[in-house]
Amino acid sequence: MVYPLLKIDSVSKTYSGNVIALNNVNISISDNEIIAILGPSGSGKSTLIRTILGLTSLDEGNIYFRNNNFKDKNYKIIRNSIATIYQDFNLVSRSSIIKNIMLGDITKISSWRVLFNLWPKETQDKAMDIIEEVGLNSIDFKKRVENLSGGQQQRVGVARALIGAPDIILADEPVSSLDPQTATDILNLIRETAKKNKISVLCSLHQIDFAKSFADRIIGMKEGNIMFNKPAKNILKFDLNKLYK
Amino acid sequence: MLTNNQKLKPPFNYKTIILVLLIFFIFIFSFKRVGMPDVVDRLYEVTLDTIGLKDKSKIADGLSRISNEMWPPVIETKKDINLILNFDSSNLPMYSFIENQKVQLYETNIETLELEYIEEEVLFLVEPLGYLKVVIIKIIESIEIAFWASFIALIFSIPLAYYSAKNYAPNKIIYYVSRSIVSGLRAIPELISVLFMVLAFGFGPAAGIMALGLHSAGFLGKFFAEDIENADKGPQDALKALGSSRWRIVKEAVLPQVMPQYIAYILYILDRNLRMATVIGLVGGGGIGQELKGRFDLFEYGHVTTIILVIFIVVFIFDQISAKLRNKLIGNSS
Ligand SMILES: Nc1ncnc2c1ncn2[C@@H]1O[C@H](COP(=O)(O)OP(=O)(O)O)[C@@H](O)[C@H]1O
Ligand SMILES: [Mg+2]
Repeated sequence: MVYPLLKIDSVSKTYSGNVIALNNVNISISDNEIIAILGPSGSGKSTLIRTILGLTSLDEGNIYFRNNNFKDKNYKIIRNSIATIYQDFNLVSRSSIIKNIMLGDITKISSWRVLFNLWPKETQDKAMDIIEEVGLNSIDFKKRVENLSGGQQQRVGVARALIGAPDIILADEPVSSLDPQTATDILNLIRETAKKNKISVLCSLHQIDFAKSFADRIIGMKEGNIMFNKPAKNILKFDLNKLYK
Repeated sequence: MLTNNQKLKPPFNYKTIILVLLIFFIFIFSFKRVGMPDVVDRLYEVTLDTIGLKDKSKIADGLSRISNEMWPPVIETKKDINLILNFDSSNLPMYSFIENQKVQLYETNIETLELEYIEEEVLFLVEPLGYLKVVIIKIIESIEIAFWASFIALIFSIPLAYYSAKNYAPNKIIYYVSRSIVSGLRAIPELISVLFMVLAFGFGPAAGIMALGLHSAGFLGKFFAEDIENADKGPQDALKALGSSRWRIVKEAVLPQVMPQYIAYILYILDRNLRMATVIGLVGGGGIGQELKGRFDLFEYGHVTTIILVIFIVVFIFDQISAKLRNKLIGNSS
């Protein structure tokens, strides 16, 4: 039997104060698939991604990675297959471009190397290749990321996600702090590199046009519930009304 | 029409008045208790004295007496050659010379058993910069105390900071224990803790180093921990999501953020320890303070002046260096 890459199975999450952020959510993601989660602010997109990452605990349900339950001990192996891109980039602002990218591989480096800043040559080489792949090769790779533009910073974020050669990238509104042109560029970059490297993507967005051109499939969320789950080309006005009315 | 709620409240009511009066009385009471009226009296006198309306102010008197003795600063040493072991006049220390001086002495006349005033010629070995040398050696000891104290503080503060940061302490108990140690260390003034360190380590620099070191470890621990707690969570989340261990997150996602602040704290601690290192000698902690106290007790104010000037110069130079260093290490490159 072929298991889905990632399976979110009846997951619920209620925050203190009785805010139901996720209400019995079921999602299945296959290899090589790009999915957009679309929904207004407060619909539970970030919570969904944070529970997959283990940054927020879930109340009910299970998450499986190729049929490995996240609750089991092999969680670390699962984590090595998942990379993340964030809305606010979440880069170490005073560290260099290359250092931020190499941090995507931090769990694979021995402790003494981390302690003394001795990053392996192959990690450095890999980072340099990826810098080229995300189109940052015209900038000095030793530059601090705080001196980069928003678009450039998110390219570093994409590069950090790519360095670990993940099976899936989770992205939480990766372009909502960027202007429309830069946002389009970044989404194209994510889509192209994902397709090229055979990586699945689960990406939350709140603009419908971005989602349509970016994703293979769109999942609509509202108040913690899934309202629709369809191929991007089949999305109708009727579906969108469910989210924004 | 204004409702009750919309009416402006008066700027004060009877509670404010009672409070102001209370503070006023406490103020007066405390002012008297600590002897401030006397200070005011004397300042009043000295003012009248300086503008020529009255002579004989106690302060002006005392100050002029001391300042006469304080100037010029003494930088030479003079030793009675009879008191120097194995004195060899053909082999004098560099730049030194022998001076012949008349010394007035009281001596008991053995026959009359009465004190007699006699004059005697004594040879002195004079080293023109001898005392300056003594002071410089002592201030170097103070600088060493400051550096070692700051180094020890840094070493101790690293685990204290980690365990005192709410988001990194492994559990609540360790967190509270660590926090208590940090505030405990900060709560004891160095001049008091050095007294206990003298009991433990004996008179001298080691006692001073431990007293200053532990106090500043408390300071660094507290401020380091607060910066860890307040550091941007974004990059920490990013590493946490990768499954990175806590100390790696601190090293890679927290330290780079807080480093400029940390450098500022460390320079401040160095600066503060240097100033404190000149003082703790007064209570047995080694360094220049010991020399200062000795000379003060002997009423050798000329020597005191030299010491104070040297302290002033060293602190001033260090201030300049640390300002430069701070700019270089922290200065925005953007
Ligand atoms: N840490 C939290 N504590 C309490 N409530 C939260 C927390 N994070 C999110 N929420 C609430 O959960 C709901 C879903 O939020 P979120 O997942 O951030 O939605 P989205 O990312 O789609 O905007 C919102 O009502 C939000 O206020
Ligand atoms: Mg969100």
